Amino acid sequence: MYIIKMRPDSTKNDVKDFLQPSDTELQRWMSSAFTMAKEALESGEVPVGCLLVYNNMVLGKGRNEVNETKNATRHAEMVALDQMLDWCSHRELDPKVVCRNTVLYVTVEPCILCAAALRLLNIPLVVYGCKNERFGGCGSVLDISSGDLPHTGTSFKCLPGHRGDEAVEMLKTFYKQENPNVVKPKVRKEVVGPAGGAISTHTEAAPLEVEMEN
Amino acid sequence: MEPESKKRKGMEYDPDSWHVLPVLSDEMSEDVKLVDAYAAPITDKRQTSRLVKALSVLHPLADLQHIKRVRACKDKTSPHPLEVIVCLVDDVTIAGSAAEPRGPALTDLLSSEDFNSEGLGEPFLVRIPARAPLTRPQFERASRHWPTSFHEDKQVTLGLTGQLFTFSQKAKIQEYMTAAVEAARSGRKEGMDAAGAVIVDPKSGQIIAVGHDLTRDHPLHHAVMVCIDLVAWAQGGGVYRYEKHPACRYSAPDLGQREASASEDQPYICTGYELYVTREPCVMCAMALVHSRISRVFYGAASADGALGTKYKIHCRKELNHHFDVYKGVMSQTCEELTRLK
Repeated sequence: MYIIKMRPDSTKNDVKDFLQPSDTELQRWMSSAFTMAKEALESGEVPVGCLLVYNNMVLGKGRNEVNETKNATRHAEMVALDQMLDWCSHRELDPKVVCRNTVLYVTVEPCILCAAALRLLNIPLVVYGCKNERFGGCGSVLDISSGDLPHTGTSFKCLPGHRGDEAVEMLKTFYKQENPNVVKPKVRKEVVGPAGGAISTHTEAAPLEVEMEN
Repeated sequence: MEPESKKRKGMEYDPDSWHVLPVLSDEMSEDVKLVDAYAAPITDKRQTSRLVKALSVLHPLADLQHIKRVRACKDKTSPHPLEVIVCLVDDVTIAGSAAEPRGPALTDLLSSEDFNSEGLGEPFLVRIPARAPLTRPQFERASRHWPTSFHEDKQVTLGLTGQLFTFSQKAKIQEYMTAAVEAARSGRKEGMDAAGAVIVDPKSGQIIAVGHDLTRDHPLHHAVMVCIDLVAWAQGGGVYRYEKHPACRYSAPDLGQREASASEDQPYICTGYELYVTREPCVMCAMALVHSRISRVFYGAASADGALGTKYKIHCRKELNHHFDVYKGVMSQTCEELTRLK
């Protein structure tokens, strides 16, 4: 059983003023993230969309690439962060300066891995939709976002709950669709595997569970 | 003259010069928690079984199945040979007990009219272990308070006494860690952090991937993240290029005579593999290992923000869907020296 709980809407947060997105901005970027998540869902991928926004520019967009790369760390956020780093290196900009002024918009709470990566890169703010009860790194399983980790970059603020119900619904739809695939954990180059989700070897034991890796 | 590598082995890397210890969950490593209870002497030994039966009806101690209800009296000069747990302090509310310096009377604890307390002496306060002991040290500490049952995990006991691995197993662990140390040194020569990692298929003994820190190239390319991607390359995937870093390398797993088409024989991310890493992984790397389904991790030196023992124990979080064993202290001196290279 997959249960996703919503954190009550909290828009008041002591985020640095220059980064605090206006309602219009926030809705616009989250709407893009949701469009990406919907596209992912339609192509049988984990319905998670994310974008990294700096100075009103999208520096990175990502979707889960775990199956095609055979690398379980290729979550949407990690893919988007790589695009942003490439953008910096092409322009010979210091990623530190860029990251400090970049906001991540993502439909689902980042997992522990991604939350730690966001800290290491000093991303100051994450706007997200629904909670990630199984792997969440912004409070659901561990609170990496604000944890006391002086050697792991800087902590970041979260604005959770934006269109959270919708994000949950997409995940539920995905799990319903993907469940039949989970019982055959075969992942091959030519066969598109159970999109990003099924990197579990324990799928036989728990056929109703689909991993959410973002 | 002896070759350099052999000399090193004999002098610097003696498998007896370091100890490997398991990194256990908080539950298994914490001190024994105690709870207040009332016990009473059994003054008539012949009543014991009747009293135990009657007490377990009245006060079943449902959450304390590990507690042995009766213990032999420690003091050999004592007039009574046995003592029995009557109830937990929290099980009873005794009116005006605070005013009673000697504590409650037996009748206060046996609030049932038909309880036959024949053979029971006056109650006294004891502290008993609140949870079942999970390790031998916990069992030994718990037993000093009150006898408990203990389902010993022999592997854990051996691990805690540093005897889980034989000398030849330690030599093998050392061989892999040496490869990680050498990778760390190569990375260091390139101006990277001195951290190295190796991923091994324990079934074949084969090294699948060797990597070192590459954070000068990419801020997230810690040695473990590099190794995970190199394993992906070995399986026909992979994301980044490593040509500039000859010490970062992979080899495809040797599937031997097995039929390559059998899906269960195909390696799948790091399932079944072991990681040897010079320093304790950070949160990002530790969670990457959970997602990658690593089977065991050996590390040398602890890290200040480490997530496999120091700040978190991500390898044994109940909420997560994959757990693995972690051992620390492998070639600790050599690995600690590496962490001091700044």
